[in-house]
Amino acid sequence: MIRDITIGQYYRTESVIHRLDPRVKIVGTLCYMISLFTFQSFAGYLAAIPFFAFVLLLSRVPFSYTVKGLKPVFVMLILTSVLNLFWTEGTVIVRLGFVVVTWEGLKRMIVISLRLILLIIGASVLTLTTTPNQLTDGLEHLFSPLKKVHVPVHEIAMMMSIALRFIPILIEETGRIMKAQTARGADFETGSVLRRIKNMFPIFIPLFVSAVHRAGDLADAMDARCYHGGAGRTKLHPLHYTGRDSAAFFVLLLYLLLLYFVKRYIPY
Amino acid sequence: MSILLDHVNYIYGENTPDEKQALIDVSVEIKENEMIALVGHTGSGKSTFVQLLNGLEAPSSGTVYYQGTDISEPSFSKRELRGKVGLVFQYPEYQLFEETVIRDVQFGPKNMGFRDLDIELYSFEALKKVGIGDELLDASPLSLSGGQKRRVAIAGVLAMQPEFLILDEPAAGLDPAGKREIMELLKSLHEEKKITILFVSHSMEDVAEYAKRVLVMNEGRIVLDGRSEQIFSYQKELEQIGLGVPQSVSLVNSLKKHGWDIKGMPIKYGETVEAIYEAVTRRSGGSI
Repeated sequence: MIRDITIGQYYRTESVIHRLDPRVKIVGTLCYMISLFTFQSFAGYLAAIPFFAFVLLLSRVPFSYTVKGLKPVFVMLILTSVLNLFWTEGTVIVRLGFVVVTWEGLKRMIVISLRLILLIIGASVLTLTTTPNQLTDGLEHLFSPLKKVHVPVHEIAMMMSIALRFIPILIEETGRIMKAQTARGADFETGSVLRRIKNMFPIFIPLFVSAVHRAGDLADAMDARCYHGGAGRTKLHPLHYTGRDSAAFFVLLLYLLLLYFVKRYIPY
Repeated sequence: MSILLDHVNYIYGENTPDEKQALIDVSVEIKENEMIALVGHTGSGKSTFVQLLNGLEAPSSGTVYYQGTDISEPSFSKRELRGKVGLVFQYPEYQLFEETVIRDVQFGPKNMGFRDLDIELYSFEALKKVGIGDELLDASPLSLSGGQKRRVAIAGVLAMQPEFLILDEPAAGLDPAGKREIMELLKSLHEEKKITILFVSHSMEDVAEYAKRVLVMNEGRIVLDGRSEQIFSYQKELEQIGLGVPQSVSLVNSLKKHGWDIKGMPIKYGETVEAIYEAVTRRSGGSI
């Protein structure tokens, strides 16, 4: 069950998108996400959907895989859809007692839920095609101007990458401990809420114990390699912009231009 | 009294890029009162195999029977099965969580729904069996040594009164003395309490010394299954799949190659010494 969590996971394959500089991908994703909020009409999707489809196709991540990322927000999606559908004033299409569906509500529901979907699966393409290390590397670079005002950018990035690195390990560990306790007859799926919370102790206590152990071991290992923070450190794989990255920026620009013209000339 | 796997396949992460078939067409029966070793190099499917035996994992296809009943049937109590087929994971000391040793051991029997008196009795008995003294009953499990923790964890499973005890590398990471203690414990559980034991091991010496039957796994299949003497006659085949034979067996094989006439197929350390001694005395005409 724990293995099914895909959000924030890396999908290993060879593609142009995978090889892009992480900075390009972070900036691109940010632009794309902001762009989704710049229009209230259907027309905007004429630009956004093809752009997303184009990127997804290049990334060679199966569509079904990105959709899995929607599972955790499914309830929210349904809720916003329902709220928008029934609580928007305007031209009435259907009226059943106190339930009123308006043309504006229908339109808004589609626009907003499409936006949410594109937002979430769009962001998941970033994490699916970028390893956590690349991601923090990119973020560190993008935020490095803040070093001037004494923000410990490197340390924060290091903490982030360690935290990200340990997520799969801790998930695996949780699975292992759950299995071990299940083998001793523990039950995590039935009983009252209180009972279930109580049943979590046999998982969380060993998990915390081992997490603290791992943290200690990691600190020792870093110490043994003379780690002393950000000053003067060089990188094994320094980030370089290549032709590929310029091309990606060009495509992004094209998309934003397309969005602009679509918004301007198609009124729906 | 048996656990039967019938044409079992198991696939991890079906329909993802990491899809991997961990078990391929495995059919095997584990009978009452056996002492079985399961060997195979890392990633050969051993851990998956042991988790099928008590229903922690369900096969992708094929059936697991316990005492003739299909364990996937809804009416079959998985919890009861886990009490009857005790599974001790690799490094089981990482599952200890209670404040005291005795309460941790009671966790299993409590989950089984035994009567309070029985819970007490079984827990004390199990701890005594694994050699944890009364003075440690109220100690925190975290304060124990590695070997002690391991034994407490095994006691936690034993206290459920299993008929089958499955252990995934029970001796991994222990020092030689700790290792011997664990293996001797398994032997006495098998001989005195008549518990069927299946243990995963990478030590061919331990396998030769303690197991009567050996299952050899390679790339998701059971490739060899038989009495240990039989299995260790396949030295070349075992080496090909990244395993080997006990040092005693390879010593006897080398001696035979050099013309020594050693009787039988000794695999245990003691037997080997005897056989070599016998061959040497025979060659020197009765005196050394």
